[in-house]
Amino acid sequence: MRDDHIRAVKEIIGAIVKNNINLVAEKWLEDFILATDQPAQLAKVFVMLPRKTGKLPIAITDDQQEALQAAGFSYIRNWTIDRLARVWLLAGFDQGDKELFFSTINRLFLSAEVNEAVALYSALPFLSHPEIWEKRCAEGIRSNIGSVLEAIMENNPYPAAHLDEAAWNQLVLKAFFTEKNISLIAGLDQRANLQLALTLVDYAKERWAAGREVHPQLWRLVGKFTNAEIFETLKTGLQHYNQIEQRAIALAISESGYQPAKDYISTFPELKLALADGSLNWNSFNP
Amino acid sequence: MMGAPEAFDISTVKGMKFFDPHVHMTSRTTDDYQAMADAGIVALIEPAFWLGQPRTGLDSFRDYYSSLIGWERFRSSQFGIKHYCTIGLNSREANNESLAEQVMEILPLFVYKEGVVGIGEIGFDDQTAAEEKYYRLQLELAKEAGMPVQVHTPHRDKKKGTQRSMDIALEHGLDPYHIIIDHNNEETVKEVLDRGFWAAFTIYPFTKMGNERMVEIVKQYGAERIMVNSAADWGISDPLAVPKTAALMKMRGLSDQDIELVTYRNAITAFAQSGQLDEADFNAQIDLTEKFEGNTILRGGQQPRTDKSSIIIS
Ligand SMILES: [Zn+2]
Repeated sequence: MRDDHIRAVKEIIGAIVKNNINLVAEKWLEDFILATDQPAQLAKVFVMLPRKTGKLPIAITDDQQEALQAAGFSYIRNWTIDRLARVWLLAGFDQGDKELFFSTINRLFLSAEVNEAVALYSALPFLSHPEIWEKRCAEGIRSNIGSVLEAIMENNPYPAAHLDEAAWNQLVLKAFFTEKNISLIAGLDQRANLQLALTLVDYAKERWAAGREVHPQLWRLVGKFTNAEIFETLKTGLQHYNQIEQRAIALAISESGYQPAKDYISTFPELKLALADGSLNWNSFNP
Repeated sequence: MMGAPEAFDISTVKGMKFFDPHVHMTSRTTDDYQAMADAGIVALIEPAFWLGQPRTGLDSFRDYYSSLIGWERFRSSQFGIKHYCTIGLNSREANNESLAEQVMEILPLFVYKEGVVGIGEIGFDDQTAAEEKYYRLQLELAKEAGMPVQVHTPHRDKKKGTQRSMDIALEHGLDPYHIIIDHNNEETVKEVLDRGFWAAFTIYPFTKMGNERMVEIVKQYGAERIMVNSAADWGISDPLAVPKTAALMKMRGLSDQDIELVTYRNAITAFAQSGQLDEADFNAQIDLTEKFEGNTILRGGQQPRTDKSSIIIS
């Protein structure tokens, strides 16, 4: 099922790539696709690709956009042609030999410059044998480079689908630390878990102790797991009287099954009202 | 000819843009980046060099090259400075032949990367046979890739080493207009310019060129095909050498046009021959801001600049 789905997306991407490059670049890519020694040539083609395709933002037809949207990949429209073409190149590379496939692409990771790394991590959802890239993805979360982290964290379905809980939690925590757009993390709500909630609660307390604000989206990942201990922290937050923080905590509590917290919220008329009129949702906290 | 100590008055070059075509940021601090940005440096080139002690294995070369095109490039971008690099096997480490052999194998992987504007810095240190061998091999690589070459000239026996570097480059059929001969002095400049090469000067306290001497050289030889750099590294050196030299040139009456050529434009002209250097990219500022719609300004590990004059650190 997944394979068919990805294959269809790859086809659309191929068509978009073709529409956004000139004939010389198209011929150059075709030569590579027909080459009998692809693994040996991949590194050079991958590295030199922007020289052939340019680096302009891609143009995309309404039909293509609609199809991508339906498949869950509409974010691709924001990419530049070199990024998209690199992803497409990697997506079509598998030769059937899993070990050769891994070592060839892994070598690209080892010597990647910034834009290459962005393309490599963007390609994870499209690579064959998705399970073999799990460690590489977890390693990528350790990067200090903003655009590389964004490629992994924002609009990328791979991490939610394949990372284990520890690596996933690390991704989310680091996204808060490095001020990424939390609402762009794919699978955020589905992969919420108690351990992550507890870690985020500690992080919030640390922020408060340092006199810093807490990102409102953090509470989104905590609400469902509210227990007596977490409730104590939520109370502290509510008593800060920072309006955005209060509203986020109230919304989180409304999604919890912890009755004492719900009762407590009722003692704040403004919050009670905001919850009742339905105007409060997680999108309202985006910058 | 030592001048009395004079304060660097940045206001004399306020509004001017500078390009430092040779500086080893890997060994500098973020404070340096901040000061460089404040002094008007908008772009720089970091040539691959050694780290003060020899590397012992291939992986440390790979990691070093990767950091030049990865982390260091990103770090620089956080201060609004466009970071380019040149990639090469430096002369000192060419003497470890078994390792040099392996490094040559991975070099082609790096020289074609985005933002790599040349092969460098390569050339002679001790002027050994091994140094010559790898200098020649890398000239061939430059020829194949159509890349400019940044040539490091030796501290000892400089004049002969410089001549030899030029002779060999010509022997390999390279166009002198593609070659930047670095660390020149009064003894080497004339021949380098006469033979059609670019002459770069390193303003480095005590050991290389002082900027008062630099002013005199530009007065004597003009500004064509001359460029100034700091080569700042892990030694006692000054990442503001380029703007400081521009300020001194201004005080000593050189024209704005000549100052612009030797501290900005000439380096761009020379290295843009790689096809990997575009002046329009200098103004990208902190380039992570515009990538996606609806995101905040501070992203991806960027930090707001702190007020260094404040005793309070929050
Ligand atoms: Zn140097």
